[in-house]
Amino acid sequence: MKWGHKSSRIERTRFLICLTFLGLVLFCPLSSHAYAGPGAGFAVLSSFWTLFVAFLYSIYAFVVWPFRQLFRLLRHRRAYGKAQIKRAVILGFDGMDPELADRFIAEGRLPNLAKLRQQGTFRKLRTTYPAISPVAWSTFMTGVNPGKHNIYDFLARDLNNYLPYLSSAEIKGPKRSWKIGKYTIPLGGARIKGMRRGIPFWHFLGEAGIFCSVLRVPVTFPPEKFSGVLLSGMCVPDLKGSQGTFCFCTTRYSGNKFREGGVRVPIQRTASHCTSYVPGPENPLAGGSGDELRVDFEIYPDSTKNQARITVDSESFILKVGDYSEWIPVRFKAGVGFSAHGICRFYLKEVTPEVEVYVTPVNIDPGRPDLPISHPVTYSIYLAKLFGPYATLGLAEDTWALNEKVLDDQAFLAQCYANHEDRERMLFDALEKTQQGLCACVFDTTDRVQHMFWRYLEEDHPAAREVPRDQRPTVIQDLYARMDALIGRVMKQIDDQTLLMIVSDHGFKSFARCVNLNAWLHQNGFLVLKAGKTESGDWFDDVDWSRTRAYTMGLNGLYLNLKGREREGIVEPGIEAESLKDELRGKLDGLADPASGRIGITGVFDCDAVYAGPYVDNAPDLIVGYGDGFRASWDSVMGKVTSQIFEDNLKAWSGDHCIDPRLVPGVLFCNHRIRDSNPAIVDVAPTVLKLFGIPLPGHLDGKPWTVGTPISASAVATAT
Amino acid sequence: MGSVGVNVPSGIVIGISLVIGLVMVIVFGYTSDQKAIHVAKDRLKAQLLALRLFQDQIHVVLRCYGRVVLATGHYLRLAFKPLLLVIVPMTFLIVHLDRYLGSLPLSTGQCFLVAARMDGPNFVNQASLLLPDGLSSTAPPVHVPAEYEVVWRLVADKDGEYDVNIRVADQLFAKRVVVGSGLPRLSSIRIRGRFWKRFFLSAEPALPDNKFVEAIDVQYAARNIKFASTEWNWIWLFFILSLAAGFLFKGVLGIEI
Repeated sequence: MKWGHKSSRIERTRFLICLTFLGLVLFCPLSSHAYAGPGAGFAVLSSFWTLFVAFLYSIYAFVVWPFRQLFRLLRHRRAYGKAQIKRAVILGFDGMDPELADRFIAEGRLPNLAKLRQQGTFRKLRTTYPAISPVAWSTFMTGVNPGKHNIYDFLARDLNNYLPYLSSAEIKGPKRSWKIGKYTIPLGGARIKGMRRGIPFWHFLGEAGIFCSVLRVPVTFPPEKFSGVLLSGMCVPDLKGSQGTFCFCTTRYSGNKFREGGVRVPIQRTASHCTSYVPGPENPLAGGSGDELRVDFEIYPDSTKNQARITVDSESFILKVGDYSEWIPVRFKAGVGFSAHGICRFYLKEVTPEVEVYVTPVNIDPGRPDLPISHPVTYSIYLAKLFGPYATLGLAEDTWALNEKVLDDQAFLAQCYANHEDRERMLFDALEKTQQGLCACVFDTTDRVQHMFWRYLEEDHPAAREVPRDQRPTVIQDLYARMDALIGRVMKQIDDQTLLMIVSDHGFKSFARCVNLNAWLHQNGFLVLKAGKTESGDWFDDVDWSRTRAYTMGLNGLYLNLKGREREGIVEPGIEAESLKDELRGKLDGLADPASGRIGITGVFDCDAVYAGPYVDNAPDLIVGYGDGFRASWDSVMGKVTSQIFEDNLKAWSGDHCIDPRLVPGVLFCNHRIRDSNPAIVDVAPTVLKLFGIPLPGHLDGKPWTVGTPISASAVATAT
Repeated sequence: MGSVGVNVPSGIVIGISLVIGLVMVIVFGYTSDQKAIHVAKDRLKAQLLALRLFQDQIHVVLRCYGRVVLATGHYLRLAFKPLLLVIVPMTFLIVHLDRYLGSLPLSTGQCFLVAARMDGPNFVNQASLLLPDGLSSTAPPVHVPAEYEVVWRLVADKDGEYDVNIRVADQLFAKRVVVGSGLPRLSSIRIRGRFWKRFFLSAEPALPDNKFVEAIDVQYAARNIKFASTEWNWIWLFFILSLAAGFLFKGVLGIEI
């Protein structure tokens, strides 16, 4: 009898299991997928796992939180104890110009900035010498002059060979490698060394227990450890290690090379389709032979539909002419276990009669970064998971491609604003996550768009003469309006206890005329070429250093060929050097453009006068301040001597700020009243520290502003 | 399948698991919105990372946990459509396989029970057993009026497939009994009535719907399959191996699950 009961119970149980199986799958998938194959099994397992991990994390956070707070108190790190504000939101609009802002406010285009000006603060913000983004933003974050943070330009020069290198970071291969025949096996990862000195103010905030979210502030690569999250900005390299190298694939391939910023790659036609490749980083196994890795792709043009299907690795997508793809992951394989992960976007330029595809520089994949681009490393991954892949390259907007006419205005703008929208999403996520503390985010769009579209803002810019005045787009006006709308949305997220500050590192002016300072130095006997030469190549090729007393490279720096410092220096330090500086200043200051009589150089500044600190020796000897409408020529920046000193700038890159810093101050808008009449970018760091009640470190050069009451939240709401 | 060797069941389960793992991954890949699943999984991972990144901020942790739950729901919703498509064939397959792999056939000389469940207490005393050659009864039947059941203890003299008949009110009700080895198709119960109930429980035709005998069952022992020095129920082994195969093939095929 007992057995009989058992038997029927087993059957009943089996029946119930089978019956509930279907029901569970249909109405409660959590426990039934075991029967529905691996797909369902994965779904359940990963869902359960996710929930379980989330649960553990939240429990951990709950349990640990009081202890962490106690720990802080015990260490006298009571955050916000003396703070005047609960939160600081700093929006950096790279290159926002105070005069344009003032003009557009007057025209009624910028209602939110108008409200800030009316009820809070609007000032011109003194910039750094020189007025270049990496210099100014380094000063912004450290509160010190360049003599203490060691950044004077994008480029610095190698004293041994007069060649340039990136001033902000140094990336080298692994320390050790193992050579097997023709292969070199790297033992370890790349070595990255940050060259910027000084301590960003968010480190002090973090030490005090104040959380910080820092997004895309320039010269934060490689990211440094601190108590908060940070995504690096300007100066993050692409996968090739450059500051952005686009790829232009074309059936018109002629072998002509772009001078810089991009490479031209042939498209091979076959009977059914076309093939080409995206060039990548150097093969790490090739032992420095220069062999580059490639990712091949196929193009299947459809001229009837004016589109093409592109296949890259396992990805396949269709693009219409004039369309960008999404970010496409690309993997450069060097061998088993050696590969580099990047992302890039494809832009179909033409399918008939020729085929042309533009590929953005290959960005470091934020979801799988081969180099650290955030602190902690998981922060870039978090953002990639949350919003999808995004541009990580420091100079992500491909100005070179527009300069070289590979992209047209529309395509460039589309690229800029796609990146901009990603940054906006990141900003609002950071605002949500940082209800207390610091949230700082820098937007590059303002800088790039003004650089490339200033030509339409002027009556007679050489780069826009072919465009009738009534057909010139209002790109910069639209840009400012867009940024104003962003401010409006941010203002809706803040309260009376939040300090909102909008700062720019510099303003903007026209770049209509190029000044080749090396040509001037040559014609005035300060720089000598080898016998029989009237021009030099790039980077001082054919310069006779044994007779050269001064040279320039980069955007504003002028260097003496100093004995004992430069490899072939001839100028004695001391009296001779000082005398030479005086002579150069005397001759260059007020240098006029013979074509118009306008002043091309309005000031030459002695570094000993404008810098102070342990790294002054690395600075240029003189900083050249160009006048409104002028800038160092493209050749001069690259250390080339030409026969012409002044020439028209015909490139789309038509606005600039690398001029006399007195002419291009930045902006300071704030929702609090700031009493100081002549604020400088160096003051931002001490001001924020003071507002959070943090004692100011003694080495800071900036002075904290006197900050008054905020605009009431209701007034802000009315404005928006 | 009846004459295969002892190690064959594990081989069959492994083989079927690999094939099912591959097929299901492919089916899942074709029937699901791969992009949406990718995005949903990424969002989930993002919230998990947020829990770690912003752990000092308790309001963020709470909000993230809520989003994890929502994102999990969204992910399961996306997995639901392909799940529905694979669930019907998988159910049929598993039920069918269970007939071969779920139980062991009876052995010669092994006592086993045959139980008949009646429609009412009146029929319990009317039931009698008619045994074919090769089967014999080893004890008098046990009547359980409270459960409407009669239980017989039987033994087989030799391997074979037998029909045991139960007579009630001059009507015969047969039940197949399998004695032997290998992987015969087994049905431990014969019932009457509803198709779906029979589909899941029985491999035999329905009993006559005449209010005498509700079910007849034979107690087969559960089959354990030896794999990796462990005894497994086949369905657990199938589950684990097909998952492993799925993991393997999803990576190879680049399918997001």
